Amino acid sequence: MSDQMTPTSSGAEPTAARSLVPMWILVLTLILLFLGAVYFDRHSGWFDKQVYPPYASATMLESYQPKSGAAAAAAQGKRVYEQICGTCHGVDGLGKPGQAPPLAGSEWVIAKSHNRLAHIPLAGISGPVSVGGKDWNLSMAAMGAALSDADLASVLTYIRSSWGNKAGEVTADDIKTIRAGLVRPQPMSLDQLMAVPE
Amino acid sequence: MKNGFVIFLAAFAVLLTSWSAFVLGPQLQLGGAKQVPVLNSTEVYPRSRPGEANQGLQVYRANGCAACHTEQVQQDGVACDVVLSSAGKNPSAVSNLLATLNLRGLNQEEAHAASDKITAAGGKVETHIVAVGPDIARGWGLRRSVAEDFLYDNTVQLGSLRIGPDLAGVGARSPNANVVLQHLYAPKSVEKDSLMPPFRYLFEVRKIVGGEFSPDALNLPKEFAPADGYEVMPKPEAKELVAYLLSLHADVPLYDAPFTPIIAAKP
Repeated sequence: MSDQMTPTSSGAEPTAARSLVPMWILVLTLILLFLGAVYFDRHSGWFDKQVYPPYASATMLESYQPKSGAAAAAAQGKRVYEQICGTCHGVDGLGKPGQAPPLAGSEWVIAKSHNRLAHIPLAGISGPVSVGGKDWNLSMAAMGAALSDADLASVLTYIRSSWGNKAGEVTADDIKTIRAGLVRPQPMSLDQLMAVPE
Repeated sequence: MKNGFVIFLAAFAVLLTSWSAFVLGPQLQLGGAKQVPVLNSTEVYPRSRPGEANQGLQVYRANGCAACHTEQVQQDGVACDVVLSSAGKNPSAVSNLLATLNLRGLNQEEAHAASDKITAAGGKVETHIVAVGPDIARGWGLRRSVAEDFLYDNTVQLGSLRIGPDLAGVGARSPNANVVLQHLYAPKSVEKDSLMPPFRYLFEVRKIVGGEFSPDALNLPKEFAPADGYEVMPKPEAKELVAYLLSLHADVPLYDAPFTPIIAAKP
């Protein structure tokens, strides 16, 4: 090496000799590349735009989605309510004159027992009924008959605990029992509904 | 010059690589970002800001708020809390079992094991997903910041220095606009040890006309109030800035940053 670094008398440009890259550098580089690739595979989520740390992959993110519980049930109740019930009873639960009575503050909704309330969406109701001191004479089909037990329970829980209503929870098992008791449900009159035990 | 073309090509390749990594890549990844549904809800997030709050973003920017405040909540990890929702038919057995179990800050396997044990004893449990990290512990948010939080920010005010607290969720923890206005006029009147400089030029101190305070005048404690017969009125910039601050609500659960919202217990 040293003889080539010395300036020559002729003033020609010095040149570097070609020599092999030491083998250990090649091996070390390959090992580091491999470890980097493994780390990338485990932690990057492969550039998925939804995966942020501390989640390492789309699968891990999916497994941490909150699935059950009161919050999910309440949200499901709200969703079903706004899709089905809200068109007549209003998303604010205040009802619509000439179309549907209010649910907010309705004595039928906030009754201590939800038994009679649950019969209304399962069987339907027709004829005169008093809600919140006002008389209504309308008919409602069995809007809830097609819903699953869990969905109907979450809707009833939602209307019993929203807009200032503070009544207890309705479980899917309650709905199952009530539904089993209705053999061929027909829209009920007020008298029939009052005959249902509280 | 020897090898000029090769040097040009090499320099071009270097620029192309960094442009791909810093411009093209993010554009491909997040360029199509749009509103997303809030978990377990019919809401979408984020809502576009009303005009006043949008103006407020420019006031925030003009006053250099980002020099001392960040808008990015960090999250170190995620944990599961097992929460008893119903004690079932044998409450004493369940409560005895609960006393022996650790139910907070578990990983998924531990949470499964704990809820299986409680279910076997007749209780009902829910597993709550909780974000973990120093920022979360400070009460600055309930989850990390994600791209959607900044969808309607132009320009994004991420910030990099925290002389003051993080503001990503300040709208969720501020009691009301009046307190925020008062904080801007006299920070120490709200937060005793605040290091924030007062932004008095966003307000106007003027003579009270007709012997009565204007409805919008600040209700300041005595030591911060102006001389008798004067009142402090927020200028439009101050109101816009407060509208912007109150619009910062990075506290809803999203698919890419999930957590279980705590809903007040129902009677």
